[in-house]
Amino acid sequence: MSDFFTASILVATIASGIRLATPYLFASLGETIGQKSGVLNLGVDGVMLLSAFFGYWTVLERDNLWLAVAVSLVVGLVMGLIYATITVFFHATQGISGIGIFLFGLGFSELMFRRQVGTPLPVDKLPKIEIPLLADIPWLGEALFQHNPLTYAAFLAVPVVVFMLNKTTFGMNVRAVGENPQAADSLGVSVARTRFIAIVIGNTFAGLAGAALVLELGIFQQNLTNGLGFIAVALVYFGAWRPVGVMTGSLLYGLVAATVLQWKAQGIIPRGASDIASMAPAVLTILALILLANRVPAPAALTRPFARH
Amino acid sequence: MNTKHLKRMLAMLFAFTLMAAACGGSDDASSEADEATEESSETGGDESGALSMAIVAPSASEDLAFTQSMIESIEALERDVELQVTDGTFVVEDAAAAIRGYAEEGVEVIVAHGTQFGASLAEIAPEFPETTFIWGTSTDTQGLPNVFAYYPAADQGGYVNGVLAAGVSESGSIGVIGPVEAGDAVAYVNGFAAGAEANGATVNIAYTGSFSDVALMAEAAQAFLANGNDVLTGSSQAVVGAVGVSREAGIPWFGTQANQSSLDPAGVVASQVYHWEVVLEEMLALRDGGTLGGEAYEINLANGGLVIEINPDYPGAADLQATVDETVAAIVDGSITTGG
Amino acid sequence: MTADAPSTTSDSMARSDAPPLLEMRGITKRFPGVIANQDVSFDVRAGEVHTLLGENGAGKSTLMKIVFGLYQQDEGDVLLRGQPIDVSSPSEAIAARIGMVHQHFMLVPTLTVAENVALGIRSERGPLTDLDAVSDRIRELSNSHGLSVDPDVEVWRLSVGERQRVEILKALYRDAELLVLDEPTAVLTPQEVDDLFVILRRMTDEGRGLIFISHKLHEVMALSDRITVLRNGRVTGQTVPSETTREQLAEMMVGREVKLVPDKPAVTTGEPRLAVQNLSVQGDRGAIALHDVSLEILAGEILGVAGVSGNGQRELAEAVAGLRKPEPGASISIDGTDVSLLNTKARRDRGLSYVPEERMKDGAIAEFSVSENLLLVNHDGDDFTRSGLFDFGKIKEHCQALVNRYAVKTPSIETPTSSLSGGNIQKVIMARELTSGPAVLVASQPTRGVDIGSAEYIHEQLVAQRSNGTATLLISEDLDEVLGLSDRIAVMFEGRVVRIVDAADATREGIGLLMAGVTDSAPAG
Repeated sequence: MSDFFTASILVATIASGIRLATPYLFASLGETIGQKSGVLNLGVDGVMLLSAFFGYWTVLERDNLWLAVAVSLVVGLVMGLIYATITVFFHATQGISGIGIFLFGLGFSELMFRRQVGTPLPVDKLPKIEIPLLADIPWLGEALFQHNPLTYAAFLAVPVVVFMLNKTTFGMNVRAVGENPQAADSLGVSVARTRFIAIVIGNTFAGLAGAALVLELGIFQQNLTNGLGFIAVALVYFGAWRPVGVMTGSLLYGLVAATVLQWKAQGIIPRGASDIASMAPAVLTILALILLANRVPAPAALTRPFARH
Repeated sequence: MNTKHLKRMLAMLFAFTLMAAACGGSDDASSEADEATEESSETGGDESGALSMAIVAPSASEDLAFTQSMIESIEALERDVELQVTDGTFVVEDAAAAIRGYAEEGVEVIVAHGTQFGASLAEIAPEFPETTFIWGTSTDTQGLPNVFAYYPAADQGGYVNGVLAAGVSESGSIGVIGPVEAGDAVAYVNGFAAGAEANGATVNIAYTGSFSDVALMAEAAQAFLANGNDVLTGSSQAVVGAVGVSREAGIPWFGTQANQSSLDPAGVVASQVYHWEVVLEEMLALRDGGTLGGEAYEINLANGGLVIEINPDYPGAADLQATVDETVAAIVDGSITTGG
Repeated sequence: MTADAPSTTSDSMARSDAPPLLEMRGITKRFPGVIANQDVSFDVRAGEVHTLLGENGAGKSTLMKIVFGLYQQDEGDVLLRGQPIDVSSPSEAIAARIGMVHQHFMLVPTLTVAENVALGIRSERGPLTDLDAVSDRIRELSNSHGLSVDPDVEVWRLSVGERQRVEILKALYRDAELLVLDEPTAVLTPQEVDDLFVILRRMTDEGRGLIFISHKLHEVMALSDRITVLRNGRVTGQTVPSETTREQLAEMMVGREVKLVPDKPAVTTGEPRLAVQNLSVQGDRGAIALHDVSLEILAGEILGVAGVSGNGQRELAEAVAGLRKPEPGASISIDGTDVSLLNTKARRDRGLSYVPEERMKDGAIAEFSVSENLLLVNHDGDDFTRSGLFDFGKIKEHCQALVNRYAVKTPSIETPTSSLSGGNIQKVIMARELTSGPAVLVASQPTRGVDIGSAEYIHEQLVAQRSNGTATLLISEDLDEVLGLSDRIAVMFEGRVVRIVDAADATREGIGLLMAGVTDSAPAG
C-alpha cells in the first residue's frame, strides 16, 4: 500500500476496532456490575446468544430495529431474573449455574433458530449515525463518530456505570455486598435485593451486547458469539472491576483484532504466520491479565453465596 | 432446616431443567430430521429396506456451507435412507461421543463430517468393524478398512470462481477471506487466486483463524473494502457476516460449499456447490458388495461432484455461463491446472 | 406500661421505676441437637454496662443475635423500654435503636469510613449518596466522644483500634440507645482497651445501655456494673463486681473450681538450652518482619513473649521451628549446637517441639484420626515400626496411653481429629509434642479459643515441662497467661524485642506500655 492511503486505513482500522469492541464492552460492563456485587456470571455468552437470536428474529418478522433492541434488552432482563433467582435465593454454585445458563442459551437459541428461521437470512443492520460537527473532524470524525447508536450507547454507559457505582446509594450497596455481605447485612442493607438488582442490570447489558453483535452483522447463525461472552468475563479481571479498565480492555481487544485483520488484508503478515497472528488479541489480553491482575484483588465475596450465620 | 433442604432441591431441579433444555435442543432437531426422512421412506416403499445412516457435523444443517452441502447430498441419494443428524458439534469430544453412540446403536453408515474428527475415528472405527464410516474432508482413510474418505477438489471450482471474479472486478483487486489455513478452505483459496491472477487480477488473502467467528469475517471484509478491493469471496460457514458487508457495499461476492445466493440475491455472482452424492453412491455400492471401506474419493468438476451455480438474478448471468462452461471444459481436459 | 418487672438479681443499682431498656424473659433457642439458650432472663438499664460472661459456646452470641434480629427465639419474650418487640432483621433492630459491635468487624475494607457509616441509611439526596453530610456528622460525633478518625479514608488503611472506633461511630451515628459489644477488646492493646473503656463510660453517662460480652475476667471486673454468667446455655449466676472475685466468676463459667494462675514450683534453672542471636526474618510480604532479635532461655525456664498480634511473634516462632529462613548472620542454638541451617526434622531430632498458632492448619491434619495425628512427628522412629512397617499393636497402646494421660475427650483414638473441640485438639497436639520430653518447646497461643478447663490443664502441662528442665518460648496475646506462666517476659513491638523483664517485677500497665512501643518512661516493673 502506498503512503497516501495510510491515514484512511488507520481510520478504517480504528472504526473496525470500535465495532468489534462494542459487544465486549456491553457484556463486560454488565459483568462488572454483577461481580462488584459478588456474583460471577459465566452465562453471559448464553444470554448474548438468546438476545441476539430474539433481536434478529424480531427484525426478520417485524422489520423494526428499535423493537429488536428492546426485545434483546428484555431477553437479557428475563435471563437476569432467572440467574438472580437461582444464585441469590437458591444459593446455587455460581460457576456451574452460569455454565448452565450458557448451555441453555446456546441450545435454545439454536433450537429456536432452526424451528423459526432455518436458513440464515440477511436483515437490516442498525444505521450509522453521524454525530453532527464531530463527524466532520478530519479522520477522527470518521473513526469515532460514524457508528451505530448502540456503539455510542456502550461507550456512554461507561461514565453512567462509574457514576452509579460511586455516587449512588445503590452503587455503594453493590460494592459493600460484594466485599463484605455480612457487614452490609448487619446494617440493614438487603444483600439479596442488592445482588438481585445488580445481576438483572448486568444481564440486561449482556442482552444489549447480543443486540449490538447481531444488529451490526445483520444475520444470525448458531453460536454466533463464538465465545465472546467468556472473553468479556476475562476482560472484567483485566479491567480490575473498574468500568474504565473494562473499556480499555475491550478497546485493546477490538483494536488488536482489527489491526491484525488489516495487516493480513494488506499482506503485511505473511500467510504462514496468519494463525499465530490470530491469537494476538487473546495473547495480549492474557499478558495484560498477568501483569495487572495480581495487583488488584477481586471483590472479596465474589462467588460466595450469602446466607445469615 | 426443612425449607433449606427444599430450596436446595428446587435449585438442583432448576439447574437440571436448564441442562435438559440445552441438550433437548439437538435431540429435537434430529427427531425433526427423522420425521422428514420417515415421511420420504413411507412413500418410498418397505421400511426394512431402508439404509440406516447418521451424520455428525460441526456446524448447523442450514449453514449455507459445509454441513448443508452434505445433508443435501444425503437427501439426494437415490435409495431409501433413514438419516439421523447430530450437528453443531464444534467441540470434537462431543462429536466423538455422538459417533460412538450411533455405532453402538447399530447404525450402518456413519458420516463424520469434519477433518478434525479423524483422530477420534481412528479410535472408534476398529471397535465397530461391521460399521462403515465415511469421513472427510480427507485425502486418505488412515489405513482403516471400514472407513471411506472424501475430499473436494475445491481448487477447481475456486479457479472457475477466480476467473469470473477477475472479469467482474473494476479495480483489479480482489479480497479472499479464509477461516483457518487448512483443508478444503486452502484448496479453494489457492484455486481462486490462481484463476483470478491468471486473468490479470491482484488477489489479497486473509485467514481469520476461526471457522465460526462471524464478526471477525465481517471485519475482514471491511478491511478489504478499505484497501480498495471490489470483489470478495470467502470460505466456511462464518462468511455470512462478510456477505452482509459485501451486500451493503454493493459489490460482487463468490460463494463456495453451498449456493449462497440467498444471502445477497443481487450481489452473489456464482457459487461452487458440493454434490457429495456422486461419491456417496459409489461408496454405498461398494458396501452393498461387501467392501466396508478403504477407499478415498474426490469430488471434482469432471465427476459432477463440483458444480458452479450461477445466480440467475445477477446481471449478465448468461454471458458468465459461457465462461464457466469454457473454463470447466479446460480444467476437465487438463489444459488448465488449478494448482490443487 | 408493664413497670414492675420483678428483679431477678440481688443488685443494688435499681435507680428508678422506669422499665429496663431491654428485658429478655425466659428465652429458649434450640438448634438441631443443641439447646443454645435455655430459659435465659437478662435485662439492661439505661446508663449501665451489663456484662455477659461465658465460655465459647455458652450461648452469649446466640442471645445477642436474638436481640439484633439475626435469630428468632423459640420461647420467651423480648421487651424494649417495657414494650414487647419482635425484631426479625438487623434493620428492625437498628430502627429500634439497637446497635451491635461484632467480634469480627463488620466493615467493608474497600469503602471509606463515611461510606461504611452511611451503609443502610436512607440518603437525604434520594438515590444519590450524601457523603459530605455524613462526614460532617462523623466529625461532630468524633469530637464529642473522643473517637478520632478521618471519615474520608478507606477502612483498609486504618489500624485495628481505629476500625473499632468506626464500629462504635456506626452505632452512635444511628443514635443507638442499646449497644451490644461482642468481645470488643480481643484485638486491642491494653492501652487501647483503657481508651475504649473511657469511651464506653462516656456513652453510659449519656444514658445509653451497654451489653459487654467478654471472657477476659479482669476487663469484666473493671468495666461492668452487673455481670451475668452463662454456661451451656443457662444462666449460672448474676452478680456485681464488688461482690465477687475473678476466681468465683471462673467457677461460674466452668462449673467447678479453676486455678487461673497455675502453681509454679521453684525450679533451679540450668544452662541455656535455646539461644537466638541476631535473628532477622522476612514476613509473608517480603519485608523484614523480625529485626535483630537475641534471647536465651535456660533449662527450666519459661520465657513469655507479649505483644499485640502481628508484631513479629509468628515469624519468631516459625524461624525457631525451622519453618522460616533467617537472614544471613543469625544463629539459633539448641543445647549449644547451631541449628539455624538445619531443617525442621533435624531440629526436632535435637529436642525441639513446636505447638503452632494455627492449630488446624499447621498443628494437626483435620481429616486424620487422633492416633494418626499423635504419630505425625515420630512415625519413622524405631519405636513403632518393624522392618519398615507400622507395628499397629504398639501404636494403639502408645496412643491410648497418651489420650488417657492428657485427658483428651474423644470417643476413640480412631475418631477424625476435626470432630474434636478446640481444647481437645490442642491437647492432642500438646500430647504429641510433650511426650518426648523436649529440650526446647515453642508454644504459640497454646490456649487461644480453648475453654478455661482445658486451658488450665494445658497450663499445668507447661509448668510440668518446666520442672523437667525444658526451655519454653511461650507466645501469647493473652497477657494474663504470659504474666501467670512466665519467668521472664520479652515484649515485642514492630518486629523488635523492646525489653525483657523479670516476671516478678512486671505489671500489666508496664507491659502494656511496652507493647505500644513506649520505652522511654516506663520502668516496666
